[in-house]
Amino acid sequence: MALLETTNVVKKFGGLIAVNRVSFQLDAGRIISIIGPNGAGKTTFFNTLTGIYHPEEGRIIFNGKSLHKLRPDQIASRGISRTFQNIRLFGNMSVIENILVGMHVHLKQSPIDTLFHLPFFKKEEKESERKALELMTYVGLKGVGNELARNLPYGGQRRLEIARALAAAPLMLLLDEPAAGMNPQETEDIIRLFRRIRDEKGITILLIEHDMRVVMNISEWICVMDHGEKIAEGTPQEIRSDSRVIEAYLGRGAVAGQHEEKIA
Amino acid sequence: MIPHFFKDIITRLEQGIYPHIIILAHMVLGTALVYTSPRSNLAFLVLITSFFTLYYFKTDRRFKLIVGAVLTLFIFPVVGVRNIFYLEVIFQISVFAALALGLNIVVGFAGLLDLGYVAFYAVGAYLWAFFGSQQFYVLPFAPGTQPSNLPFLLPGDAFYLFMFIAILIAAITGILLGTPVLRLRGDYLAIVTLGFGEVIRVLANNLDKPLNFTNGPQGITPIQRPTMPLAAVDGFNALFGGLVGHDVSPADMYNVMFYLLALGVIIVIVFVTRRLDDSKIGRAWTAIREDETAAIAMGVPLVRMKLAAFAVGASFAGVMGVLLAGSRTFISPESFSFMQSIGVLSMVILGGSGSIPGVILGAATVTILNLQVLQGLSLYLSQLRQSDAVIPIINFAWANLSNQLDPAKYQRLLFGLILILMMIFRPEGLIPSQRRKRELAHDEDDNGK
Amino acid sequence: MKRFLKSINIPELIRPLGQLVFFSLGTTIVLSAIVLVFALILDRTVVGQTLFERLNVSLFTYTLINLPQVAIDGLTIGFVYAAIALGYTMVYGVLEFINFAHSEIFAVGAFVGVEILIALDRFGILAGASLVMAYVYLILAIVGGMLAAGGLAVAVERVAYRPLRHASRLVPLISAIGVSFLLQDAIRLVESLTTGQFNRIFPTFGNFDRRVILGKMALGTTNITLGVSIKSIIVIVSAVLMLVALNYLVNATKVGKAIRAVAQDHPTASLMGIDVNRIISLTFLVGGMLGGAAGVLYALKFTRIDAFVGFFPGLKAFTAAVLGGIGNMTGALLGGIVLGMLETYAGSYMGVFTMGAAGTEYKDIFAFSILILVLIFRPQGLMGANVAQKA
Repeated sequence: MALLETTNVVKKFGGLIAVNRVSFQLDAGRIISIIGPNGAGKTTFFNTLTGIYHPEEGRIIFNGKSLHKLRPDQIASRGISRTFQNIRLFGNMSVIENILVGMHVHLKQSPIDTLFHLPFFKKEEKESERKALELMTYVGLKGVGNELARNLPYGGQRRLEIARALAAAPLMLLLDEPAAGMNPQETEDIIRLFRRIRDEKGITILLIEHDMRVVMNISEWICVMDHGEKIAEGTPQEIRSDSRVIEAYLGRGAVAGQHEEKIA
Repeated sequence: MIPHFFKDIITRLEQGIYPHIIILAHMVLGTALVYTSPRSNLAFLVLITSFFTLYYFKTDRRFKLIVGAVLTLFIFPVVGVRNIFYLEVIFQISVFAALALGLNIVVGFAGLLDLGYVAFYAVGAYLWAFFGSQQFYVLPFAPGTQPSNLPFLLPGDAFYLFMFIAILIAAITGILLGTPVLRLRGDYLAIVTLGFGEVIRVLANNLDKPLNFTNGPQGITPIQRPTMPLAAVDGFNALFGGLVGHDVSPADMYNVMFYLLALGVIIVIVFVTRRLDDSKIGRAWTAIREDETAAIAMGVPLVRMKLAAFAVGASFAGVMGVLLAGSRTFISPESFSFMQSIGVLSMVILGGSGSIPGVILGAATVTILNLQVLQGLSLYLSQLRQSDAVIPIINFAWANLSNQLDPAKYQRLLFGLILILMMIFRPEGLIPSQRRKRELAHDEDDNGK
Repeated sequence: MKRFLKSINIPELIRPLGQLVFFSLGTTIVLSAIVLVFALILDRTVVGQTLFERLNVSLFTYTLINLPQVAIDGLTIGFVYAAIALGYTMVYGVLEFINFAHSEIFAVGAFVGVEILIALDRFGILAGASLVMAYVYLILAIVGGMLAAGGLAVAVERVAYRPLRHASRLVPLISAIGVSFLLQDAIRLVESLTTGQFNRIFPTFGNFDRRVILGKMALGTTNITLGVSIKSIIVIVSAVLMLVALNYLVNATKVGKAIRAVAQDHPTASLMGIDVNRIISLTFLVGGMLGGAAGVLYALKFTRIDAFVGFFPGLKAFTAAVLGGIGNMTGALLGGIVLGMLETYAGSYMGVFTMGAAGTEYKDIFAFSILILVLIFRPQGLMGANVAQKA
């Protein structure tokens, strides 16, 4: 059974149709990319999946249940976790605290536990701290637990965002241009990290990416969007030779460097 | 900037036994000054700034606690009953510190600008003002027409119970007011909370009809004081009578008691704040302040967490309201104006939003500026007016200065200046908040690479 | 001359006039109808009986007699709100920032205007002034108030807001609250040093207090007199003139185009060769001038001012701006008119309808309730500005 299934999802802003009848299936345990020119509606599609926007039409079924009208925090607790195109960390919190916020939905401590530091509170805090440190090591951040997130170098911030998303122990990870602004070495490292996340933790990965080396290297399946519509879908080999895809890119691909649609 | 010579001295002073000596010396000096010249504002400043020394220098926890306890539980009460004005200043500092700490949870932690914070203070104050006075029996009478022999509704013992009831009522008020509006964006929320603050004040002004709940603009008086064990007066006199130099009246002792109650509330607030800050709830608040979109995507339920911040902040204001009603025995809508809200906000901003020591420092500074500096200026001006002094160059006789110019009434100027200057030059406040450093055992490996 | 006339964009002059007339009439008709229906219903209840016993008139007749006066009062204050609201909405449109100090800009305008007139009065100039000169002096006071308020607004932006432009949203707002408080006490300080008085009274001169009788109508045994004071006419006419002028400035001139461009996107506007800082200053200048003029008009209408005179009109004008859709100028007009009318209708009739339990004293709460309701149910306001997307 598919982990994620969208049927005819439509999202409009006033007269502009940002996502137009997108139907899409994603099996558990795969790595899938969504590509497309700037303004194709990729990030908007992400935002409808995570509840930041509610689609006007269509259904989104995740893990067998509808995500209709759920708030982003409810969707997060159903097992969808994400990173952002323009990194959105909690800059004035320490690295470890950023990861602990990611665990929010799993922490069971009550206000009473908290106020009186009951044994359960202490145990849970200690346990989550240990997990957070493990995650830091996992994504390749070490020795910076007490640093403020905003003081990390760019690559470190990207990694921290991934660690924070993993802290929620999601079933599916949405990555919005995770390799943007990275040099080839860093890009290679991060691709390896994504493979490990999928292989070792069994987390399904859905990513938006512009860097074709990343996309062709890592994806097992690619979905192409243009003008809010899904125009093609297939294995990297199939996509590489698809005429509509080439047209979509060459027709408008020259307009580079423009900002994508921003969220909120 | 500082020459090496001084730098060396300062580093040396921060080591070994020196901090202990400095702290004790400062405290003893301040106490001695106030003791010998009980009317000098400067002496009082020296005493109260010993708190700053105590905070600044690093010593062991136990030493700090003991010195802090000696200062607050022994020196301040004794000095206070010798000059009741000091006690008033200390009491007001404590009240405002408690209020500012409460607002700090909303503004500093969760990043929600609440401009109507005194509304919750008013809720607490009117709660005890209503139940702890004759007001219940005044209900059918228009203001000023009630018979004079009405009984009090509840005895003074109930005061202590109402401190707890106020927590609940104020928190509920916070949730009721917050539920519809906490979805709003920050700047809209600020204006709406301002509106709520005004609504509560207008209600207090006008709920003298059809039933007389609040006695309108004249306010409610007399309000029951809490019962104080008589032994407290005798005990205090027996213990400290020699130091004070005269027998303390029960009225003065009441003031000491209210000061101690306020201090107790502060301790509870600091305790609660610190515990919450270092937990799932506090981290969620800070995350919301830093980036709402990211916080909600990580599963933090925005509205529920914001409501929690609102309710916790409100409940502290509620307790302080009961305390205010009990200590002043008089309550009127004027005490709960928009200016009061901004006053508390300026304390939080001045000290450093999100920072507990900062906010206490802010409350102390603003209160002292307000009560001592502005009023001192007023006194000085009125002396100048009576003298025949002249401003040299422009040849202006002080005697001609308008009588309307009374610096004590220029609090808005003070609050305004604080807010503007802090925002431009030091938005993080005098003592910026700091994230707790955790001892991370596994994290040391390649530190400092 | 001919070329000049040709260069004027006539539709941009007529359009806002049409809108103003439409908004005013529409609001009057709707609110009057609602009030009359209420009166009809309550007439049969204890409310109507009590009134009949007291005044020997049915509630419906009572309501109807008062309607014209209430409508004109509401319209007058509505136009004042609209003029202030434009200051909030323009600044919000350009900077997405609530200029909390705008209410004190308004107050300073009122003070400068009133002080000019008081000075003229002290020299005996006002007392002997002919009707024409009386209007000249009034215009002088309004212009004085506008210049002072406009200049102050520009200065405030330069000192207290510009350094904070890239800080997070609440930082400039807190600074603006500080400016608002500072200015209140600054007014008091200046007044106490110079005149020693905190309350200033608009001098009596000219024919402003006279009432023009528009018509009489018999209704059973009572007569309805439809009259309007010259004050109100002046307020409405000046407000309309300013609103039309502003609309022209923004929608039909090059500067206006620059303002709109900056409102859309600062970086892009500056790439197009627009000096963003200058345009922002200009926005504050224009908004401040409108606020200052509104201040003098407010003083003319309500006679007595003090340092805190700006607080409630300011908050209500902000409410009006939000009600109309903040960032949207037509919305500010509509919001101002609707709010002024709603408030006046509520203030006039609530007391009678609730038999004195809640009356004029709740007028101020009324505006806040509207603000809260609008923000919850229709945050984009009546005219639906594009704030939601920008946020």
